[in-house]
Amino acid sequence: MSFAWTSKLALAAGLAILPASGWAQSVNISYLTHWSPETVALLEAAAKDYAKTNPDISVTVRAVPFGDLLTTLRSQGGGADGPTIGGIYDLWLPELARDKLVAPAPDAVASEVKGAWPAGVVSAASVGDKLYGIPNEIDVYALNYNKALFKQAGIAAPPKTWDEFKDAARKLTNKDAGQQGFGMINSWAAGVVHPFASLLVSNGGELVREGKPVLDSKQAGETFQLYEDLIKSGASVPAMATADANTTGPFLDNFVSGKTGMIIMANWWESALKTGMRDRFTDIATAPIPVGPSGDKPHAISYSWMTVVNANAGQAEQKAAWDFLAWLNNPKSGKNGASAMSDILMSMGILPSRTSDIEAHKDKLGSEFLSGYVSVLAGAKPFPVVPGGQEFSESLQQTIEALQYGQVSAKDAQATAQADATSILERAAK
Amino acid sequence: MLMPAVTLIGIFILLPMLLTVWLSFQDWSTQTPFSSASFIGLDNFREIFGPTSVGRDFKGALTNTAIYTALSVVLILPLSVAFGLMVYQHDVAGGTALRTVLFSTYMVPMIAVALVWSKLYSPSEGPLNQMLGLIGVGPQPFLSSPRSALISIVFLNVWQQVGYFTVLAIAGLTQIPGSLYEAAKLDGANRFEQFRFITLPLMRRTLLFSAVIAIINAVQVFEPVALITQGGPVGSTNVLTYHIRRVGIERAQGGLGSAMAVMLMLSLIVVVCALFALANRKNQE
Repeated sequence: MSFAWTSKLALAAGLAILPASGWAQSVNISYLTHWSPETVALLEAAAKDYAKTNPDISVTVRAVPFGDLLTTLRSQGGGADGPTIGGIYDLWLPELARDKLVAPAPDAVASEVKGAWPAGVVSAASVGDKLYGIPNEIDVYALNYNKALFKQAGIAAPPKTWDEFKDAARKLTNKDAGQQGFGMINSWAAGVVHPFASLLVSNGGELVREGKPVLDSKQAGETFQLYEDLIKSGASVPAMATADANTTGPFLDNFVSGKTGMIIMANWWESALKTGMRDRFTDIATAPIPVGPSGDKPHAISYSWMTVVNANAGQAEQKAAWDFLAWLNNPKSGKNGASAMSDILMSMGILPSRTSDIEAHKDKLGSEFLSGYVSVLAGAKPFPVVPGGQEFSESLQQTIEALQYGQVSAKDAQATAQADATSILERAAK
Repeated sequence: MLMPAVTLIGIFILLPMLLTVWLSFQDWSTQTPFSSASFIGLDNFREIFGPTSVGRDFKGALTNTAIYTALSVVLILPLSVAFGLMVYQHDVAGGTALRTVLFSTYMVPMIAVALVWSKLYSPSEGPLNQMLGLIGVGPQPFLSSPRSALISIVFLNVWQQVGYFTVLAIAGLTQIPGSLYEAAKLDGANRFEQFRFITLPLMRRTLLFSAVIAIINAVQVFEPVALITQGGPVGSTNVLTYHIRRVGIERAQGGLGSAMAVMLMLSLIVVVCALFALANRKNQE
């Protein structure tokens, strides 16, 4: 037999014995996130673990800055070639669902989520009675303060009321040393609005009630006034408050370098603080949001993130995406009864939202920094998830920033915020 | 035969422009097919010039874009002529090297420029503030203040673009016959008079071209805003391209975004036509 014939026979035999799975259609799915390279590496490692039992499904991870995430989802999610899976902020869900960019979860996934996550988190991942995403992280706001600066200023304990808060901010301010008592944030919608809203709910107020803005309330007026007082007294310096597209920048630098005494931020920035402060991270402690004159007890704003599936992806891709997400969020995919997703989240200091994950990570959630957040979670009020929510948030950001820079008074800011919110939410509800 | 060119221009230039104009009269979400658009007349234009947050944000972005463009052109053109004059002198050693260095800033990708300048402007550890500190000037907020953020972005733009416009200026200078300068010297004209009565008038066409290109480039500014300031603080760097992206893509308000794009296009046409009209009048004089 000639060499040519031998080769042909060998090729034919090789093709014949290839396992059926080798010919089964392999499915490529992509996962869009805003996470840092270190966290993306953890997600890629999880995808590799998944591929061990699902060799026909390959998952690629793409990351964009937070500021570009929604734009990328909107501009690429309309086609089958867009990201199959996207990590989204709950505020974006109503409009993404309205525009049919995200697919409702299959029944099996929906019933699993409804049984394994707290009802409030499930509701933030739903529009009407349809569940659209698998919730993963929950973020809540609290007061972070620098214990070393508190000691220097002779303050024994974190402030519990607004009066104590203003007093502490004044004592912590040292203009000559370029030190501010309380750090505000600007140039980033959530960074501006969430701390403001946390103070508002701790003063017994709300942003939106039954789909209508209630920024004209007495409680909201007092919150705007608190901002004006802090700015006018010099206890808060807006020029130290800017953020960039990666939600870092001077506001973070100033807190990390000990030039900001207190700030209201969410738990997820633990990793940024640890990276920036190293050993000095132990100086940072967490306390509930101070209670305003019209409030009864501390409250804070919470919001959640979820993973959704592109409604325009092919059927095979959608099926593979839900299968991967179900695995990723399953208590068997991670360590010690935790899901692989929760292990990734906890690497950043982010609270997982699945009930079994909270139990599995009980030890780490008991750390000095995170336990302060866990303790306020029960009393937290979800940021209103309504159509037009993102525009509402950006509009309120502009008004609060104008107040920060002394361009408007507290009274004018309140009136503008209410008028803008009314017009935005009415238009979005049509 | 003009047909192929006309077809290509029609498909790739006129059609998208007409589509944008048509969409500006529609209520349309960018996530839905064009067939779902519904005619609403001038409502989008009323909204973007109205008193609500939509109108305030658009008017603010239009003003910011106008300021950014005007400052960029006012700084870039004189600087490019000045650098051009310095570099064009044949008898200056290292002229070619200087030309290369000047042009190199134009070749640096904006992402790198933005990253470096955001650090230069850093209020705490930024080198600019450290240098100012050495001469007794206190720290400046640069990007952190609504008063200085837009101007800081303009300087970044000028730094990056001036090399390109210097090359254009040099090209203009090469077109001026040397005999004119020799004749002027014989008549006793000093350097300033040579510049005022020979260089400047004969560079008018080059300067007009540079001005038009500088205006178009400035109006299209996007990356430094998206990468560094996100339009803030207090919307002080919110330029139109960035704002249209936010409205048209992030919020999917395609009709409103198109109305804003139409206004941007009209403004650009008016400014460029006015510039040409001014130049023609000068020529006729």
